[in-house]
Amino acid sequence: MIGPQSLAFLLIGASILLILVVVIRPSITASREGKIVAFLALFIVPVIAAGVGASEHMERSEETKFCLSCHIMEPYGRSLYVDDASYIPAAHFQNHRIPPEKACYTCHTDYAMFGTVHAKLEGLHHVYVYWFGTPMRPIHLYQPYNNRECLHCHSGARSFEESPTHTAMMGDLRSNKLSCASSGCHDTFHNVDKLDHVKSWKPAE
Amino acid sequence: MLRKLRISGILLILGLVVEALSLCWNTTLSFMSFVVVGGLLFGAGILLFLYSLLSPSTSPSNS
Repeated sequence: MIGPQSLAFLLIGASILLILVVVIRPSITASREGKIVAFLALFIVPVIAAGVGASEHMERSEETKFCLSCHIMEPYGRSLYVDDASYIPAAHFQNHRIPPEKACYTCHTDYAMFGTVHAKLEGLHHVYVYWFGTPMRPIHLYQPYNNRECLHCHSGARSFEESPTHTAMMGDLRSNKLSCASSGCHDTFHNVDKLDHVKSWKPAE
Repeated sequence: MLRKLRISGILLILGLVVEALSLCWNTTLSFMSFVVVGGLLFGAGILLFLYSLLSPSTSPSNS
């Protein structure tokens, strides 16, 4: 089956060919049929081709390698390979608890109504700031990490639901009164400033 | 009108070529070139085409 990228290339190619017909022989627009061809060539087909291309770009912006293509994110990418199970992102990434090819997006999207749109708009803002503004240093979350993002996967999972520690505070966890990232619980994240002092895991080739 | 159609077509082709090239990589730079360079050329081409539809001289002899 034809993939979205191939479809985008196909549509762009077809679009360019149609446009060339009008550019080389614009006199065809003298007839009614020619006007229809010109409208298709210069408006309808290119808009569809660009739409498919934009959709493909938006889809690919969820990939880990896309996020890590910004120089500022490089240490966060390295933190996924820390050989220490107490590092929450590393443990999730290395054990495929999240899709490794969409690691950043899976944990940093909003699992709420319009969460995907919100995450993509924030992503666009990040790209804009990276290229045209001044990124915050060190970078940090806009708001404290919401338990909703953890519970999206962990809620209903046996190991989570049957843990006496979780059971005792389930109400507070669900209402976000008590953060999963509270001190003494799951409080080790990317810790990029300590990366030079920790061992790294090398995946088998 | 025909001149506008030609320029519009060329702008669209350039925009589409940039968009096709940007799809060859998955980086923020390719994304930005898609949106900024490709989008500007593409948008200008579409707008010029729409503007040409509104221009009063529609006969090829008036080009």
